[in-house]
Amino acid sequence: MSATANKKLVQQIYEDSANRRGTTFYDNLADDACWIVTGENLWSRRFKGRDAIMNNLMGHFRSLFPERPRTVAFNFIAEGDFVAVEARGDNVTKSGQRYDNQYCMIFRIENGRIKEVKEYCDSALVERVLGPFPADRIPQTQP
Amino acid sequence: MSAADNKKLIEELYAAIAVGNRTRFVETLADDVVMRVTGHYSWSRTFKGKDALLRDLYGYLSTLVADGRRTIPFNIVAGGDHVVVESVGEMQTRAGVPYNNDYCLIYRLKDGRIVEIREYCDSVLTEKILGPYRGPAAA
Repeated sequence: MSATANKKLVQQIYEDSANRRGTTFYDNLADDACWIVTGENLWSRRFKGRDAIMNNLMGHFRSLFPERPRTVAFNFIAEGDFVAVEARGDNVTKSGQRYDNQYCMIFRIENGRIKEVKEYCDSALVERVLGPFPADRIPQTQP
Repeated sequence: MSAADNKKLIEELYAAIAVGNRTRFVETLADDVVMRVTGHYSWSRTFKGKDALLRDLYGYLSTLVADGRRTIPFNIVAGGDHVVVESVGEMQTRAGVPYNNDYCLIYRLKDGRIVEIREYCDSVLTEKILGPYRGPAAA
């Protein structure tokens, strides 16, 4: 797929997110996709495979909010297999705290399938508001 | 300039930084450049203008880390006026503690000059190793 088609796909993912509906991300995620939370903080990890991404990472993240969390993108930059997205969260946790993180996400897309997602955000805010990533959500199959 | 030109320029700046030459980077900053350290932590603020950026962010950083700091890019994505750089820092504090952050930098260019920068990195690591921001702009 062209950079333009890749960009369009990622734009649809964020339109879903902004509207709290849709399954574009899940529908286009490769079985062997990897989501990398960058850095050395309590959430930094490679979530390998669709199940680890959807159940372990997303599953835990979404469990902290009373409704599906939303992230609003404001800048998309595409070249080759990569699409970079800048976005802002717009959320309130179940305990009533604002959680408006600022994200830069790098998607790598091969033949229309999302193969890799790298997340950069304010990890201090993650740990302060969301706490550590829980041990029982760490994927067990990983080395 | 085209996205390809912008990408080439940014690649050259990082190549120079990797061998300890920051002059080209500084020369390429527009006088009215605006840099935002994103997020909601102590370093999150907007540095407006080249002088303020060099003094309040890079100058302050120089007081904390040893000379010879490097940032090594491994992925550069360019489109329109923007260039995205994923990189790994190779730094040490003046006390000798390693500081190797993961960075994603977004540059916006205009006529061959950097007019806007946004930085995303692991803020837990920043505050743990470098401490909270106490530079000139903190006042």
